[in-house]
Amino acid sequence: MASTVIGAGITIEGEIATDEDVVVAGTVRGKLSAKEAVTIEHGATVEADVTGGSLVVAGSLTGNVTATERVDLQSGARVIGNVKAARVTIADGAQFKGNVDMDV
Amino acid sequence: MAQPRTTAPDRNRDGEARIGSSARIRGRIHGEGNLVIEGQVHGDVAVRGDLTIAEGASISSQVVEAHALTIAGELEGEVNASGPVTLAAGARVRGNVRGSAVAIDEGARFSGRLDCEFDLPPELGGASRTEGRARASGRR
Repeated sequence: MASTVIGAGITIEGEIATDEDVVVAGTVRGKLSAKEAVTIEHGATVEADVTGGSLVVAGSLTGNVTATERVDLQSGARVIGNVKAARVTIADGAQFKGNVDMDV
Repeated sequence: MAQPRTTAPDRNRDGEARIGSSARIRGRIHGEGNLVIEGQVHGDVAVRGDLTIAEGASISSQVVEAHALTIAGELEGEVNASGPVTLAAGARVRGNVRGSAVAIDEGARFSGRLDCEFDLPPELGGASRTEGRARASGRR
């Protein structure tokens, strides 16, 4: 179970920092940094720079992404920003505009 | 190659929101649905559902708005609840509290003004006046 869940109706404007997992189903504007997995669910809107251990995106993300392990853009994801991670997957049906940097 | 994780492990958490114990938020939180805060929040919180400030959580804000509000952690700021407010044992609250009803459990520490409407018992003249208004202040 994720330790931080930002529910579908919730908006956070500001800076979020956590050592644990984060699931975003709502809206985040600002900055999001986690040490573990970050999941941006379908229907979520994130306008923030995101750092995390691993990142799964199925929703909408505008901002730069840095993950220590991997980034997975799933079908339905809409990502505008640069992605930096050792492993990156972009699924069929994901929209992506930005640079990928796998040379971590 | 490792299979990418899917995002549907437990989908039935609509409206559920939780700020975990290691999370620190600097900014504004608002929206609909219930919210549980276990971590630290520096900024205003306004939710239309119920808000629980768990033990170990610490909130410092100007205004916290919610329907029902349960506080077991630390809170500094004004509380404006449309429903009942409970200060559970272990709560530390500094600020004015407004709610439809306010309960302060034994072991809670509160410093501020209480503003809630309630029915006065008949022996206090409540028979003629059904609505009373309490303003209490406590300091510990």
